[in-house]
Amino acid sequence: MEKFTKAFPSKPLKARTAKPWALAGVVGSGNLEVLLERAGASGTMECHVETSIPGYKSSWLAALADFATHYPAGGTKVTIHDQGAPPVLVNLRLRQAYDHLTGGDK
Amino acid sequence: MTAANLALRRQNKAKRLQKVGRLARGKFVSPDNVPQVLKRIIEPGDILCLEGDNQKQADFLASQLASLERKDLRDIHLVMSCITLPAHIQLFKKGMIRQVDFCYAGPQGTAVADLVKAKKFPVGAIHTYNELYARYYIDLTPRVALIAAAQADRKGNLFLAANTEETPAIVEPTAFSDGIVFAQVNEIVDTLPRIDIPADQVDLVVQAPYPMHLQALFTRDPAAITDVQVLMAMVALRGIYEKYGVQSLNHGVGFNTAAIELLLPTYGERLGLKGKICKYWMVNPLPTMIPAIESGWVESVFAVGGEVGMERYTAAHSDVFFTGRDGSFHSNRAMGQLAGHYGIDMFIGASLQVDINGNSSTVSKNRITGFGGAPNMGCQPAGRRHPTEAWLKVGAEANPGPGSPPGRKLVVQMVETFQAGRVPTFVEELDAQDPSIRKALHGVTPVMIYGDDVTHIVTEEGIANLAACRSIAERQAAIRSVAGYTPVGLKRRKRDTEELRRRGIVQFPEDVGVSPREASRSLLAAQDIKGLVRWSNGLYDPPPQFVDW
Repeated sequence: MEKFTKAFPSKPLKARTAKPWALAGVVGSGNLEVLLERAGASGTMECHVETSIPGYKSSWLAALADFATHYPAGGTKVTIHDQGAPPVLVNLRLRQAYDHLTGGDK
Repeated sequence: MTAANLALRRQNKAKRLQKVGRLARGKFVSPDNVPQVLKRIIEPGDILCLEGDNQKQADFLASQLASLERKDLRDIHLVMSCITLPAHIQLFKKGMIRQVDFCYAGPQGTAVADLVKAKKFPVGAIHTYNELYARYYIDLTPRVALIAAAQADRKGNLFLAANTEETPAIVEPTAFSDGIVFAQVNEIVDTLPRIDIPADQVDLVVQAPYPMHLQALFTRDPAAITDVQVLMAMVALRGIYEKYGVQSLNHGVGFNTAAIELLLPTYGERLGLKGKICKYWMVNPLPTMIPAIESGWVESVFAVGGEVGMERYTAAHSDVFFTGRDGSFHSNRAMGQLAGHYGIDMFIGASLQVDINGNSSTVSKNRITGFGGAPNMGCQPAGRRHPTEAWLKVGAEANPGPGSPPGRKLVVQMVETFQAGRVPTFVEELDAQDPSIRKALHGVTPVMIYGDDVTHIVTEEGIANLAACRSIAERQAAIRSVAGYTPVGLKRRKRDTEELRRRGIVQFPEDVGVSPREASRSLLAAQDIKGLVRWSNGLYDPPPQFVDW
């Protein structure tokens, strides 16, 4: 088990976004859940990661940093509960949660 | 020199068959006599061909061969497509083999790597299928070929059933050079459904005590397809199939391409692509193609081999599949590989490792597999002259010089950035470059698909269009851009990725109109094997290991 928190600078989320939160994935073997909430300062994406497999912090941080750069996600809080999901699934669940939150708005 | 001296091989063949004598009744040998017969027809120094590819095996003859000892059989130059059975490994352990030339060693890859380390695997070269078949007509013509067929009649005509595979490519060069053709068959009958190999090319026949081994190699259970694979399939469909108007193609055997097949009747239909893409196929009768065939996407399918369980389905769809006069499925490995080389717009497949130059390989230090047929299709056919829409469109992007062809075949590698167990797919250097492997292969690195041939790499991150890259440095930056969070990917520079994305060389899912939100297994036309059986109207008979109901 490994736990860490980090905030990344990101452009503010589009104002017309209506939903307060969005969830993608489930906590189960080889899977993970991503909860995305509208919270915090408008210029940061605040991330809380809890993973069952320690030792991959740098990969997590790189993936989250890229996400904060690619998408305007300022003013959100990301909570991830990971149960050993393959690395390729992390990005997909993040994008899915983001898509749900923004209703497809970029 | 007298004329007779130019036909020594013919005399020698007659002498060998004479030695068989009463061990055979005409052409027919009883199973008990096979070891004795093999001793008499094979001589030291022979080039011996043992039929066996990744699906079909002359397994009874292989086991009888392996029951002999070095005093009976030695100094053999073995030529065969696939080293797949424990019996094949025995031949090396017993020290019978002077040299081996082959294509693939899937299930025995670890055993082969061990033999290489023990210096008991004197390999000439690892080939692609058609490359080895070509050499059967040049400098590797078999003296004796041990083959497998479904049925023989009383004259020795052979019926090969759905799995014609490579039998004709072995029999022809052997029979027409005074070599000896020895066939194992499942049964001997009065009348064959059809004749695939005429009796006068067959010297000896044995009815094996058990049917030849057939591997259901191309069956992929839709239940094992992941959401990530669905995302990649959507990206490939929009960013490659739709963009270039791919009409004719080959699919690899992985789950990635199975996902594409299962998206055609759902996602593909919604995009209005039916009738515009994926009409002509060079591929085995994949069960995951059933929904697309039933939905009217597919005009024709030619195959290198059959697939266990697809016999009734293919026979009932003779407008789509090639079938004999008897109505049953026909395949041909050499011709299928040729079709996949020259006749198609696109090859798309997967690999275990891709390096920063786009070279791919399935070889690791502890497992030497080889190539099979993928490189025949996953390459640029320099002899191609006919244009198609897709070929010209990729060619225009590749900006051909005055000495280049105007078109390019789409050669696509579709890989997840990590394999199972968090092993990165993308690497700076292939394991295949290991010095001991290169030494065993006379300085050749066993590369499956060369980076120069690859036009696109698709990962869950997006598409890298290698054909459109203008320099090696640009190609490496494009590959790093889609290599995700592997060590290779983490070395990318944001500035490079942004510049390549601006020029359309790197495309993320949203750049090709794919919404990750939709990437879900629920888009698949069938969720499991049972779903495929339903789509087939009960004509698909899945092998027992795939049946859980």
